[in-house]
Amino acid sequence: MDIQPEDLAKTCADLKAKGFDYLKKITAVDRNDHVEVVYLFYSTADRKDEIIIAKLPPENPEVHTIMKMYPAADWYERELSEMFGISIKGRKADRLLLELWNGKDAPLRKSFAWGKEYRKVE
Amino acid sequence: MAIMRINVGPIHPGTHGVLRLVVDVDGDTIKSVEPHIGFLHRGVEKLMETRMYMQNPSYTEKLDYIAPLSWDDLYVNSVEKALGIPVKEPAQYARVILLEFQRIASHLLWLGTMVNDVGQLFTAFMWCFRDRAKVLKLLEDVSGGRMFYVNLRLGGFNKNMPEDFKERCLALADYLEDKISVYPDVLDSSSVFMERTKDVGVLSKPDAIAYGVSGPVLRASGVEEDARKSHPYYVYGKLDFKVPTYQRGDAYDRYRVRYEEMLESIKIIRQAVEMMPEGDTKGMPIRLIGPAAKPDTVLMQEELPRGEGIIYMIPDKQRPYRISLRSPAFANLSVLPKISEGYRFADLFSIVGSLDVVLAEIDR
Repeated sequence: MDIQPEDLAKTCADLKAKGFDYLKKITAVDRNDHVEVVYLFYSTADRKDEIIIAKLPPENPEVHTIMKMYPAADWYERELSEMFGISIKGRKADRLLLELWNGKDAPLRKSFAWGKEYRKVE
Repeated sequence: MAIMRINVGPIHPGTHGVLRLVVDVDGDTIKSVEPHIGFLHRGVEKLMETRMYMQNPSYTEKLDYIAPLSWDDLYVNSVEKALGIPVKEPAQYARVILLEFQRIASHLLWLGTMVNDVGQLFTAFMWCFRDRAKVLKLLEDVSGGRMFYVNLRLGGFNKNMPEDFKERCLALADYLEDKISVYPDVLDSSSVFMERTKDVGVLSKPDAIAYGVSGPVLRASGVEEDARKSHPYYVYGKLDFKVPTYQRGDAYDRYRVRYEEMLESIKIIRQAVEMMPEGDTKGMPIRLIGPAAKPDTVLMQEELPRGEGIIYMIPDKQRPYRISLRSPAFANLSVLPKISEGYRFADLFSIVGSLDVVLAEIDR
């Protein structure tokens, strides 16, 4: 199901009311002209999956946190902001989760120039 | 009393890999725990985007070096789905048999090290490793590798199963059942093991669901959820097995769930051997330029020994455009601050041990 990023909180509340009580994963896909944030919900009672996709602009993407409704989102959202440069609104600034990484570049974005440092050595 | 901050790790605080825990204690009571992860981050998802489909199993195997076949199977199965390649029927049964043996090997290693961590030294550890070695020998004879197998190919395996495959599986299942059924007698009568696991690290059912834990940790808290039942793959739908579930959600219940899962795995193996048709199990040889994938998104969910592993893949023609790995241990570790608060400092190691985390798949 595709949604607008502004509707995320409302959609999550609806899903929670419908019995989707379990958050399996939050991930993202860089499609070059936009960034998709993918939420994978699950209902433990009905054993059904629901995928929610929110499309964000490629520059300064931001999305609201759903940690209050789904505590499982905590680490996934932190990973998302470090790996995709997506800022998560409504959260306190946190220590980096994968802390040996610098947290500034977004390595899983397609624009990430990797291998540069190796070339420098040559 | 003043709060004291203790730094545990990062090298081996009783688990596989590199995990640092920053613990605040008041006397001997834990006030807060903060896991620091990422020491083993090597960007597997990014690396996999740059490799052809069948170059990637060597990455997925190293995600969890205790049960490499399970991750490998999850990946190869999702590639088969993306390319639309059917798995040969005898190979489906052989995969189920080997996956269940891998689950037993993983749980045996967990049980041995867990019992050691709580201080019931070396008896159970030696027994578990003795039995696990038999399982590894079978996997070695089937694949050629003792630790990393990389024997799955699209549609089957790299070679046919050995001629005496069925007899060996049945003999090994009998051996394991005989040996494993003795463990609870020993552990339940050990006051060291019981006192350090009973009512330690209790995770309630609502919290288990809210924090998204999976696998034995979720089932020990009373949620009957198993990807083999809810999203059946291969021939699991045809097999008769139970999903062991306990209610209290403490470290002891997590041990009971894993123990009973091993017995269920033996049941699955016996049925699968019985039903396995004759025929070759050879899959496609590795060709780097294979058939082009359909552009549909692939969502594959399998029950790994540590919980539910998920691959969300956007295929491109010859390599994944984006692949996202859901590590069950990642979610299981994120619940640690919640369940260790208020316990004694020494209990922390029972709790971390009972979650059965492998840091290589958490950090990716």
